[in-house]
Amino acid sequence: MMYDIPIVALSLQVAFVATGLTLPIGLITAWLLVRKNFRGKFLLDVFVSLPLALPPVVVGYVLLWLVGTHGWVGQISHGLFGSTVAFTWFAAVLASSVVSFPLVVRSFTVALAGVDPKLEVAAKGLGAGSLRTFLTVTLPLAQRGVIAGVLLGFVRALSEFGATIIVAGNIPGRTQTVPTAIFTRISSGDTNSAWRLALVSLVLGVIALAVHNWLLNRPRSFDSSGLDRSNGPPS
Amino acid sequence: MISFNLQMKRSEFRLDAAGEFGSGITAVFGPSGAGKSSLLDCLAGSVRPDSGYVQMDETTWYSSLDKVWVTPENRRVGTVYQDGALFPHLDVKSNIEFGWKLIPEHKRQLDPLELADFMGLSNLMSRGPSTLSGGERQRVAIARSLATMPRLLLLDEPLASLDTARRGSILNYLKRVHAEFDIPMIYVSHSISEVVAISSSAMMLEAGKVVGFDHPTALLPYASKSETIDKFENIFDGVIGSSTDYLTKVEVNGVEISTGRQSKCMGERVMVSLGANQIILAAERPENISARNIIKGKVVETWSNLGKVFVHVDAGPKFIVELTENALKDLGILIGCDVFLVFKSSSVAVFDT
Repeated sequence: MMYDIPIVALSLQVAFVATGLTLPIGLITAWLLVRKNFRGKFLLDVFVSLPLALPPVVVGYVLLWLVGTHGWVGQISHGLFGSTVAFTWFAAVLASSVVSFPLVVRSFTVALAGVDPKLEVAAKGLGAGSLRTFLTVTLPLAQRGVIAGVLLGFVRALSEFGATIIVAGNIPGRTQTVPTAIFTRISSGDTNSAWRLALVSLVLGVIALAVHNWLLNRPRSFDSSGLDRSNGPPS
Repeated sequence: MISFNLQMKRSEFRLDAAGEFGSGITAVFGPSGAGKSSLLDCLAGSVRPDSGYVQMDETTWYSSLDKVWVTPENRRVGTVYQDGALFPHLDVKSNIEFGWKLIPEHKRQLDPLELADFMGLSNLMSRGPSTLSGGERQRVAIARSLATMPRLLLLDEPLASLDTARRGSILNYLKRVHAEFDIPMIYVSHSISEVVAISSSAMMLEAGKVVGFDHPTALLPYASKSETIDKFENIFDGVIGSSTDYLTKVEVNGVEISTGRQSKCMGERVMVSLGANQIILAAERPENISARNIIKGKVVETWSNLGKVFVHVDAGPKFIVELTENALKDLGILIGCDVFLVFKSSSVAVFDT
């Protein structure tokens, strides 16, 4: 039992940091995809969803190549910190972020697309700049979808295995997360403790998904108090 | 004063319009798809035209020649949309204060609470936009814009989603706003009745081009060609006068108009509307007739289109009357003639202001 606690703690740490990374980057990406027209938008869209279509092992392999001593990310970090991030807990964060990114961006895209662009135009006409408009009008109105996307990303990060084991390894006490620990225990025939960790995964997953579904189905605070979107006819 | 010359091409549509609007209420009028909203978007800065310029007093907002572009948040142009575009997650008070809060404290000129009072919103401040009626939403939208002391107020079909009874009320609020705050207004509409009722000059657009820019009644002939004049309503400000058992008199610009019995007090301000096709013209004063309104006036102008004739009669208030070509010929009506306007009291609709 006691051995499990650091493993669960590291898993949570990795998932939290990965979510913290994907939230701002995901918001910017989703906003670009929904509100802007630019050259290469199609490519960005494909690139964002790519990790969904690749085996996580491949994602991990590409990441390993990028952050390793021969990859450009690795060379930069080697120059800055004297080491690469490969086989550190931060490599697990990168793996989780990349794999959960498509899910997060998809949720955000749907959420932002549901906000009437006319409200943003109105906010700008009242003197609000782009960032303020986004923070005070767009984000509050897209709030539920954004939180749902964050939770979905968190769940995905918690359960990440394939990319993590390639780029971060499975080093007990350093990079071993719940999924990789379960793998080790199954491989060594330690079924009891494998089941115990599996149960922990189950509980964490159920909690996060329950909150996710509750958020999506709950009437919005401003629906019940009458603060609702005014869906007038398009002009 | 705002002057502009704008060219913009978007797939099939081409806007090519120039003009100069003064400090009054200027209408931009035309059928849907004429480019009215595109013109407003270019003035507000939410859309960037292909070429031309927009000049507001001394400030250049856009010039393709000098490569000037002022972003919408820096133009201080208030826009009131058809459905109000209120922020659904904020209550009425926060909506009104949205732009006001962005003004540095020492530059704030208006108190949002007084403004709410002026627009008759004081008891709605904690309500959410979805609980408001269409008219209330528009008033919140107007107050929200006014709170930022805009240099220009754009009204994009502000009455289009309202029922008739609410229209007069908003029109009157807009007139009061203009009288009180002295902000130039551009009023976009596809209804010539509204344009005649509110504006002091009007620009007519058709397929992205300016086809007329004149006093609003002078645009009536153009309007009749584009079929937008179909159901012209004469809209007047009035004051409730004396009542009998079944009739109430409303005084409009020195003329008394009989309407159905109103449950309003004498002296109350109202708006009346009367369809142009509800009025009969008589060359002589008719005797023994059931219609309760017989008003003498002078023919100012006539114009015709597809067998329909519109006669502009000055009787104190200026009436637009719709006739058939044959009726005009038989009556022998000429410009300058005295005529009598005849209509039933039940044809006159009376609205709160």
